[in-house]
Amino acid sequence: MFMYGKHILGIRACTWVYFFLLVLSFITYLVGQLGLGGLEVSLLVLFFALMKGHLVGLYFMGLVRVKGFWHWPVSIWLIIPGVLISIAFYLAN
Amino acid sequence: MTATTATIGCSSQSKYPSGDLAIWVFILAELLVFGIFFAVYAFARMNNVELFNEFQQHLDLNAALINTWALITSSYFVVRAVAAIKEGNSQLCVRWLLAAIAMGAVFLVVKSGEYAHHFGQGINLSTNSFYMFYLSLTFFHFMHVIMGMVILAAVAIKAHQGGYSASDNTGVHTGASYWHMVDLVWLILFPLVYVMR
Repeated sequence: MFMYGKHILGIRACTWVYFFLLVLSFITYLVGQLGLGGLEVSLLVLFFALMKGHLVGLYFMGLVRVKGFWHWPVSIWLIIPGVLISIAFYLAN
Repeated sequence: MTATTATIGCSSQSKYPSGDLAIWVFILAELLVFGIFFAVYAFARMNNVELFNEFQQHLDLNAALINTWALITSSYFVVRAVAAIKEGNSQLCVRWLLAAIAMGAVFLVVKSGEYAHHFGQGINLSTNSFYMFYLSLTFFHFMHVIMGMVILAAVAIKAHQGGYSASDNTGVHTGASYWHMVDLVWLILFPLVYVMR
């Protein structure tokens, strides 16, 4: 539906992304409500957050249609703090 | 072009993102600052895991979910506003922008309620390390939401006055990109501060 490979970007794709973001956020909320913790759960929740950020960058910001340097900054921004946060939680656990 | 086939962002493959390039330099600078804050929070937590885990449970997770949904919905409304102006429909663009601003207002009201609750309990920046980070990070983001709403309002006013068209809509893209950045930051902030333990 998202057709990332063909770089087709439309309202319908963004609408699917929107609902996906809502669902992932609700799963994150449930993890918090159930009091689930530990390294694995934290990294899974972080992975969901990074995936959501990636989708916002690609589809809402329209970076899926940008090639070259400007395609990458948001993805790189997500990866670097994501790795640092993962390391910090790994060391803390 | 129908609403279901309207393209978002650039109309074709491009070397540059949609909107004024200057806003993207600004967005990257903002993301860098937030990224450093996130990493500092995570490493500060290493030395106070029990304290962070204990006080994290005092936060209002329901409010955080409402705010997350509000910002995601707001971002989606901005996507619709961009699609509308690309079809040359200024008034539809204005309506979507106003809806996005309204969702931003929901965020501000809910977050203000959280702050009022904390301050009512005598919690402030010097209460402990967790609240220092929680209040600093979320208030810094809160200020960005306000700034984003001001930008969207300025874009909506210009759109209402017919300042944008299907072929000249860089300003709408510029405001939209900034608002998506505000949403993007919250999507990391929410699990990091409210959920991960």
